[in-house]
Amino acid sequence: MNSKKINKKDLKKLLDTWRRDFNLIVPVLENEVITMDVWDGKDTAFIDWYRNTVVPPKANFLPPGEKMISFEKKKDGIVLEIPRNGQRQIIFGVRPCDARSIAIIDDVFTETYEDTYYLSRRNNTIVIGLSCNSPYDSCFCTSLNINPVESAHVDLLFTDIGDDLLIEEITERGKGLLNMPDTIKKATKADTEKGQALKDSLAAKVTKQVNVKDMEHRLQACFNDREFWEKAAAKCIGCGICTFLCPTCFCFDINDEMLKKQGARYRSWDSCSFKAYTRMPMENPREERWRRVRQKVCHKYQFLPANLGVTACTGCGRCIRLCPVNWDITQVLAGVPQKEAARSAK
Amino acid sequence: MEKELRKQANRLLEEGTVDCIIGHAQGSLKFTTTPLITGDKTEISNLIISPFMHNNLANYLIRRHGKTGIVAKGCDSRSIVSLIQDKQVSRDAVVIIGVPCSGLVDMAKLESLTGKVRDQIEAVTVAGDKVSVKLNGKKKEYPARQVLFDHCLGCEFPTPQEYDCLIGEPVAAINDTELSSKKIADIKKMAPQDRWAFWQKQFSRCIRCYACREVCPACFCERCFAEESQPHWISPVPQWQDNLVFQVIRTIHVAGRCSDCGECERVCPQHIPLRLLSREMYDLIDEMFHYKSGMDKNAPPLMTAYEMVEAEGLIR
Repeated sequence: MNSKKINKKDLKKLLDTWRRDFNLIVPVLENEVITMDVWDGKDTAFIDWYRNTVVPPKANFLPPGEKMISFEKKKDGIVLEIPRNGQRQIIFGVRPCDARSIAIIDDVFTETYEDTYYLSRRNNTIVIGLSCNSPYDSCFCTSLNINPVESAHVDLLFTDIGDDLLIEEITERGKGLLNMPDTIKKATKADTEKGQALKDSLAAKVTKQVNVKDMEHRLQACFNDREFWEKAAAKCIGCGICTFLCPTCFCFDINDEMLKKQGARYRSWDSCSFKAYTRMPMENPREERWRRVRQKVCHKYQFLPANLGVTACTGCGRCIRLCPVNWDITQVLAGVPQKEAARSAK
Repeated sequence: MEKELRKQANRLLEEGTVDCIIGHAQGSLKFTTTPLITGDKTEISNLIISPFMHNNLANYLIRRHGKTGIVAKGCDSRSIVSLIQDKQVSRDAVVIIGVPCSGLVDMAKLESLTGKVRDQIEAVTVAGDKVSVKLNGKKKEYPARQVLFDHCLGCEFPTPQEYDCLIGEPVAAINDTELSSKKIADIKKMAPQDRWAFWQKQFSRCIRCYACREVCPACFCERCFAEESQPHWISPVPQWQDNLVFQVIRTIHVAGRCSDCGECERVCPQHIPLRLLSREMYDLIDEMFHYKSGMDKNAPPLMTAYEMVEAEGLIR
């Protein structure tokens, strides 16, 4: 693989160049919350303090709320207008876990139908990865076979190797962004070796582990074990943090809002943790809390593996570190009995 | 203290006085605790008392069946009493194990003081009015007032007001209302248009995860106006105006029930300073109705009763 490098001091120059052609999104710290927002062009200090965002990158393609269509009744008929999205953008600083999550929801929004709202943003976005040099104590990406220095699903991968950032060119789109011979140099053998060594040392920093081997079938076998799920759900308060902030959760709700003769149709994030989830056709089929908790776990580790062949969890740990009651999915998964030991339906 | 707590919890289960104990256990991450809800005596040894026992466990009494033993700090006990006043919980159905509380550590404050994130801090110990922190092998001491939650600094009743047994001795309140309400005083000083801009900015971040509502023992409604669709009182789409209206209505709904436990603000993943609203309402209730929530289980809920003293300045 071709590797290049840039001195950290020159990163600002590079971002300045990109900013001319793209809407450039970088990690921003505001009100003690790390978020992804338009770069103000001031500095690149985030490279040192940034760990990961609260809101995952899905929000760039599937915003918490968006207008799908607006309509107005006029004399000669109804006028419809579909908003146009899809400004060319670069997201700089996506961690390997989150890069995987983008690939997972790409599948969701293209597999059975093509979601034009999602794709108009997604197709116009270049994703630039940044190796994770400071995993949280809630992170368990390595259990999902993700390395903190992982180049999958990004256009370029930047890795902090000290004074320089190592750049791995992954896609042609990414490669095209590096045409700055005075600041971007060819990486030496020593540089790439440093990057290689980080694969082991950073993976060792991910201390939380969970064995997810055969989880799809283990969950299938204990699906009707009400006692297990009631215990797993006992302390859950049923808020939307773990699902809204999960990088692979994608459920949305659609609502029309009207005022006299005009209005709009919106979609907004929805969560299977909510009691009012899917109440619009009739009622939520998962009346009790434990059924909703089971849905959340099984959707990630049983249903999507069965339907799309992918585990919808990246071990980013948001659901653990942001949970109001420290509901910890790794503890629940660890408690799922081996297939043979599963109790039968009660 | 923990030994005594476990002894009491064990006794309650053993005697069959309760079929379930709700308390705090060590969390899976550094400086976290997690609610322990169990009827299993073997799990009682996991019960802890800690400066990180943030959760207001009264929340778990709502729609719970059977008889429950519950660990309660001062604010939690007031929430329980408030639920009793609202007839959501029967006094006979709970055994309150009171735990006097010297204040909880606000990790966000500690993070900004140390410049480190929670999991990069090695150890935190609270001793009297000092909090000592271990960072890179070195110890550093901070006055507790810099590290405890704002709501703990302004707590009037750190010792439970209602209990069946009390673990340890009552503790004195810090009751530093000036420090506790400094942020409220600051926004009151703002020009109205600046204050409006401030709230617009804060509520622009809201993603409507409803953690503030779900964690709140005073928010016990089975159906919330926020999800009603005929009509839509507020739009389900997160926009700052609707987010703000949601929180304002919620604040009014919990007026006279809120014990200023601070959970709504602590759990907000977007760090929206919700206590600026809830504590202001708490103080307004005190000022207008001479009422403090959750102090008397036999009193009618604030909004269901009228007394002549309320007339001053209220009805014009």
